[in-house]
Amino acid sequence: MGLINYNIEKYSPKQLVIIPLAILAVSLILLTLTMVATGMPVTPGIDFSGGTAVTVITTDTKEQITSYFADYPLVEVSDMGNGKFLKFGLMDDSKYKSLTSLINQEYPDARIDQIGETFGKTLQSQAVLALIFSFIGMAIVIFLSFRTFVPSGAVVLSAFADMVMTAATMNIIGIPLSLGTLAALLMLIGYSVDSDILLTNRVLKRQGKLNDKLTGAFHTGIIMTSTTLAAAAAMLIVSWLGSIQILMDISAVLLIGLIFDVMNTWLTNVGILKWYVLKGGGK
Amino acid sequence: MNSKELKALVTDWRVATLLILIVLSVIAIYPHIDDQGHLASNLQYGLDLQQGSWLQLEFRAEVVGFTTDQPVDAFVTNLSKKLDTEVIAVESTNSNHLEIRKYYSQSDLEPVFASEQGKITSYQQGVSKSTADTVKRVLENKINTLGTKDAKINTLTGLNNVARFIRVELAGVDMKQAQEIVGKQGKFEIRIQTTGNQTEHVLSGETITSVQTPSQVPAGSDKWGVGFTLSESGAAAFRAAAIKYGATSDPAKHNLIMLLDNTSVYSAPLSEDLAGKLQSDPIRQLFASTGTGKSGTQQATNLEIHLRAGALPVDVTIAGSGGVSAPLGERYKTMALLAGIFALVTVGLVIYYRYREPSIVLPMVLINASEIIILLGFISLIKFQMDLPTIAGLIAVLGTGIDQLVVITDEILHEGKVPSPNLYLKRLSRALSIIIVAAATVVIAMVPLALMDLSTLKGFAIITILGVLVGVIVTRPAYGKIIMQILSK
Repeated sequence: MGLINYNIEKYSPKQLVIIPLAILAVSLILLTLTMVATGMPVTPGIDFSGGTAVTVITTDTKEQITSYFADYPLVEVSDMGNGKFLKFGLMDDSKYKSLTSLINQEYPDARIDQIGETFGKTLQSQAVLALIFSFIGMAIVIFLSFRTFVPSGAVVLSAFADMVMTAATMNIIGIPLSLGTLAALLMLIGYSVDSDILLTNRVLKRQGKLNDKLTGAFHTGIIMTSTTLAAAAAMLIVSWLGSIQILMDISAVLLIGLIFDVMNTWLTNVGILKWYVLKGGGK
Repeated sequence: MNSKELKALVTDWRVATLLILIVLSVIAIYPHIDDQGHLASNLQYGLDLQQGSWLQLEFRAEVVGFTTDQPVDAFVTNLSKKLDTEVIAVESTNSNHLEIRKYYSQSDLEPVFASEQGKITSYQQGVSKSTADTVKRVLENKINTLGTKDAKINTLTGLNNVARFIRVELAGVDMKQAQEIVGKQGKFEIRIQTTGNQTEHVLSGETITSVQTPSQVPAGSDKWGVGFTLSESGAAAFRAAAIKYGATSDPAKHNLIMLLDNTSVYSAPLSEDLAGKLQSDPIRQLFASTGTGKSGTQQATNLEIHLRAGALPVDVTIAGSGGVSAPLGERYKTMALLAGIFALVTVGLVIYYRYREPSIVLPMVLINASEIIILLGFISLIKFQMDLPTIAGLIAVLGTGIDQLVVITDEILHEGKVPSPNLYLKRLSRALSIIIVAAATVVIAMVPLALMDLSTLKGFAIITILGVLVGVIVTRPAYGKIIMQILSK
């Protein structure tokens, strides 16, 4: 394949890992800052903080919508395909009921989702647990299958970096943590290690010259990630056109995560693995 | 490929399994044109993809762990009086837990427990699993009597068996209606038989102040029934009616009949014992017996619901709700289908760009599509309701499924040479070992979501896990066989 000509041979392990490590450090700092400011490393969306999300298919402008809902805690109006996505803050039951009837009157075909504060909090603590359990589970599978510390650690570190960098990017471009993006992050835990496993397997369990094995693994690995990227991009485009918020969130986060995964697999993981083999580990 | 080779390929057990599964899946999905000329199938859609609404209710009650040096029965009775609500000992093997059917914060409860020489050891908002099940039954009952067909009710029980939320999903109903259905109570009435088939009104539901859970009276006798308490005015009216129509002197001729929304749900005479007591005093605590054994228990369970007339044993508040309109659901359905097809085509193009060889690309894309068909077949078979996260899961399966086909192809095509059968098998097993580890990580990453009640994400996790399993067990081995045939040409 001619498009990407990446010569792993040329770089030393140190050169390979320096860029991703710098980005990882910046991302961790960003997450810490957000954590200090808000108490959560990522901005919780309505699913976790409580509030009301409304999807409407309309040609009304932002100003018109804002004036319709002037009496309600409208937080945000965003464009989406041929519709708008509205976010409201927390409100009490009677206010919420009057809001639903107003929405029914103005936009009878709307989609409404309302999450109370306590329910959101419960979801949030479960979400954190799910992320932790997933990650630990993934790490156990990796360690069991390679049974050597450095290569397994490299895979787990790459996956960790994927998560952290994706979360930091979500903060920067303003994608909140919702049930959809949580699902995407969990998917990343599982899928981002695909190409790392291929790489480690090829390098440790196969005969041949290191650089040949790395190049071979890269050829296969990059196409693997490209196919998933292609599927995620397709989903992003269609869901944007179709104003499907949850699919948009999932595909956007997958896309970001997979791009970081390319970097973390072919710089971070390759760098550590190369160092490990050169100093005499493996075969 | 000649017909002999083709026959050999199709009869290979891996390929045969795949083909049989595809056929079975198509039968399960059953795509057909319905009476109105629309394309229809057996696939069921969740609330995202059709009109419907959901309500998430939160229990206004708590389960509290406690210790006391007092006798437990007396302790519970005193607490119940002080807190002005039902307090029930939760059946639990290891420790003492009480369910308090009214909302108090832990700091509100502590002094009350202390005054009864007790101590709170744990506190959690919610109800015990058995109470949650009762609530679920009451709601189901209510929804059924209103003729709403497609309802799904799930209690979300935590690891410690305390349920804090219950989720109600109603297809084809808008949010306003849904709130009304859940909030609405039935009309309950007790009538008395006067002469022949004639009956007279005695009480209405408002005079029943509390309903107990089914019990055996005397305890351990296997004689089941439901106790309930009348208000003072209710008890007086009950006594007056019993005396007026002669039920106290000749109980056998004057059945008491309970009606819910004008349908008889229970009919029995006063017991001799009760008839005698009523002669002299009004009685507030009544017990309706339903018989012995399994049928007695079953009837008691139903009667409890009827006595409550659709009122829940515990107050609930709406913790979340939502709804999708019919046009938007239709639109989502079309878009989701489009997203799937578009994703398949894009993935196919990427693969083509890499291999430039239709005889490799075509099987890959077909295998990929077959995986989705098998998954959809399975979804139809288990009547799983597809929602938007499930579709995202399916599309992700599509993107990653082909990854693993790439691993197999590259491993076999290693260094561009077509291997001998022996070497081929070695390489295939090497590819499969990579795939199995990759699959295991995805499955393990999704397990927490599949087990937790994280709202709508459960379906997504289950579908993703299933997709990976179908891939590893069925489609990848079959692909290995097919690609070998094609390459060895």
